[in-house]
Amino acid sequence: MDAFQGLLTGFQVALSLEGIMFVLIGVIVGTLIGMMPGLGPISAIAIMIPITYGMDPAPALVMMAGVYYGAVFGGSTSSILLNAPGISGTVATAFDGYPMAQQGKAGKALAIAAISSFIGGTVSVVLLMLLAPALSSVAISFGPPAYFALMFMGLTAISSLSEGSTIKAMIAAVAGFMVVTIGIDPQTGTQRFTFGNVNLFDGFDFLIIALGLFAVAEVCMLILNRKNRSLSDDQKLGSLKLSKADLKEMSGPVSRQSFVGFLLGVLPGAGATIASFISYIFEKRIAKNPEEFGKGSIKGLAAPESSNNAATSGAFVPLLSLGIPGSGTTAVMLGAFLVLGVQPGPLLMTDRPEIFWGIIASMYLGNVFLLILNLPLIPYLAKILSIPRPLLISLVIMFSLIGVYSISFNVFDLYMLLVFGALGFAMRIFSFPAPPFILAFILGGMMEQAFRQSMTISNGSLSIFVDSPLPLSLLLVALVSLLVPAFLKWRSNRLAYKQG
Amino acid sequence: MRKTIFAGILSVSALTFAGCGSDDAANTAGEDGNFEPSKTIEVVAPAGSGGGWDTTAREVARVFGETEIIDENMTVINREGGGGAIGWAYVHGKEGDAHSMFVASPPLMFVPLNGQSEHGHEDFTPLANMIADYGAFAVREDSEFEDLNDLFDQMKDDPESITVIGTSAPGSMDHMQFVRIAKAAGVDPTKIKYVSDQEGGALTAVLNGSVDVFSTGVGETIEQVRAGNIKVLGVTAEERMEGEVLSEFPTAIEQGIDESFVNWRGFFGPPGMDEAAVDYYEAKFQELSESEEFAEVREKYGWNEMYMGSEEYSEFLEKEKEEIASLLEEIGLGQ
Repeated sequence: MDAFQGLLTGFQVALSLEGIMFVLIGVIVGTLIGMMPGLGPISAIAIMIPITYGMDPAPALVMMAGVYYGAVFGGSTSSILLNAPGISGTVATAFDGYPMAQQGKAGKALAIAAISSFIGGTVSVVLLMLLAPALSSVAISFGPPAYFALMFMGLTAISSLSEGSTIKAMIAAVAGFMVVTIGIDPQTGTQRFTFGNVNLFDGFDFLIIALGLFAVAEVCMLILNRKNRSLSDDQKLGSLKLSKADLKEMSGPVSRQSFVGFLLGVLPGAGATIASFISYIFEKRIAKNPEEFGKGSIKGLAAPESSNNAATSGAFVPLLSLGIPGSGTTAVMLGAFLVLGVQPGPLLMTDRPEIFWGIIASMYLGNVFLLILNLPLIPYLAKILSIPRPLLISLVIMFSLIGVYSISFNVFDLYMLLVFGALGFAMRIFSFPAPPFILAFILGGMMEQAFRQSMTISNGSLSIFVDSPLPLSLLLVALVSLLVPAFLKWRSNRLAYKQG
Repeated sequence: MRKTIFAGILSVSALTFAGCGSDDAANTAGEDGNFEPSKTIEVVAPAGSGGGWDTTAREVARVFGETEIIDENMTVINREGGGGAIGWAYVHGKEGDAHSMFVASPPLMFVPLNGQSEHGHEDFTPLANMIADYGAFAVREDSEFEDLNDLFDQMKDDPESITVIGTSAPGSMDHMQFVRIAKAAGVDPTKIKYVSDQEGGALTAVLNGSVDVFSTGVGETIEQVRAGNIKVLGVTAEERMEGEVLSEFPTAIEQGIDESFVNWRGFFGPPGMDEAAVDYYEAKFQELSESEEFAEVREKYGWNEMYMGSEEYSEFLEKEKEEIASLLEEIGLGQ
């Protein structure tokens, strides 16, 4: 069956009354859960699994998919308004979204996020439809050496995530590396820095770190600055309208990062979180005015928002076409498939075309629903900011605690949230940037594992990283991105010296 | 990985139900020495949603309810962490509770043997084993190896040339099932190169040729074999399995390697569970295992029937643990 015919089958599923209804339920549940800080797509999908018992698999899975991308869509709201990431894929959204909200442009920020998400989501569905079969070979082309090179490339960006002191950024990144080594080492089964405490065996969930360093630390800052009216009561929603200039500024990052996000989503293990960071860094690197990033840049908000939604559709490539779950969320999705008696994998497209294409077709519809649902809601959502400060602070803390507790129902994790909150607060006060810490934490673990897997495979020879073209070219890109800024700086210094 | 909040909702409703039950009858056997559950039974899956333990627990609870083999509610809760250790510690704390149980499989041995849990199978009350699953060793479709002996011969000549990948850590199931069969074939078990990939990249690494052999459960291989991406050199079952693709997989035993490995899956109660309660659950699990409804579940997930009552199960586990412990010692792992 060719793609066109397949898509027609898919739309028959998606555009039936039942299909439309379940897409709508899925995206509404997803957005609502995604909006709450800490509760994300995994919780959302897990909630829906028992509801789908006994349902026809096609509409059930269309609904599950809707929950997934709906949660990613909605996750940006609390990042922007409260600096409390709704889900791990929207941590980077807070970098510029929150400063915009503080400047009284909350409405605009939410609108930019919604439109970027919509475009990212839609572009990637088109790519998914056209390329899913072909891309499954891309998804499997990454072996351990290539993963190492990819993560290494991501890490070369640490310096560009810092405002001010590079040394402080490096210290923060090293701290992130140290924290990610806590737990049982997968390559040897040895415990590292667990002090024999069973609660530390699995290391820290990313969300504990993100909510601690951002939401809890932010709350501490709000309490500390309560007399300072910088985030004042008369802070306005601001105009929702985007000017032509705004749209023009968005268009570059959105169109580029929809592709970048999709491709990173396709790689097992990368996913929306890594995609959003890499897109953010990418745009900052090529921007004419990188100093605006982190201070409310439209580009800095549009890039991660288009990318994380694109990555969500990308993650369906290995899931649907290979049966490989590339992330925690898609692993739960895979569980949902199996409960419904559907085995995702290379034969899904031929065995159950109505499911394969139904999910893809429903994503077009779902993204349109999300945009229509979210845009009119913005003024109401932004009202969150006019909640009295003491109440707002309590709510953020409460939601952060609920979000962390829902990860593992483990009280120990709640203490850890407070520990990382205190760390984040201290980092703020002494002006250590949090993003390098977070980036090192996300990429560091995978990079270490990929490095050691490669070393075992090659019997300890480093040549494994340069013997095949894929890791080699990724490492070269990393090298260039490290050297070019240094070279440009050196040259401008020399020119200045000569002229002086 | 992120956890389910619906499990939380369920456990809240479990508390509500529990509140309705009469507490005086909760933990003791009736006057005639028979046990009947008097409140909601809590089934712990010591892992997140969507995995093998979670699925088994949920399907068992569902079929128990639908067939009314057990009238009381059964609710599944997830206690994830430490490869199971957090869930086991949780159940261990409910000594004597006859309304609590958890689902387990060989990691209940591997994890404590590797020093990562204080609690092993001997600390709990075995109720019944329900199903069996087997390991499979797969290579890429175009691999030079045609059967297990091809692979093991190469490993005997040049152990450094072969890398095995699995999802679990060294010393755990995917690793040790391979070591066990390879050793029986005469491969030096200390020289086997094993890498772990817990991010879902194991199959990928086999497909792109980064590593040579995928050690996994048979269920993970079926779709890929049907699609012609990989071939299964051998499985760890004692006899040929039944099923469309499964029946094509040769066992190690057929290939002259006299060894097998069962990925058993069953249920355990907390320590010190009343004997009358053990008898009760044992009988109910047997009834479930023999029911048509549960046969459908087995078929759906490709599981094999393997019922064992409490005593038989205990003996089986003792024997398994001994073998695994000596193997771990031989390759320099384990505590």
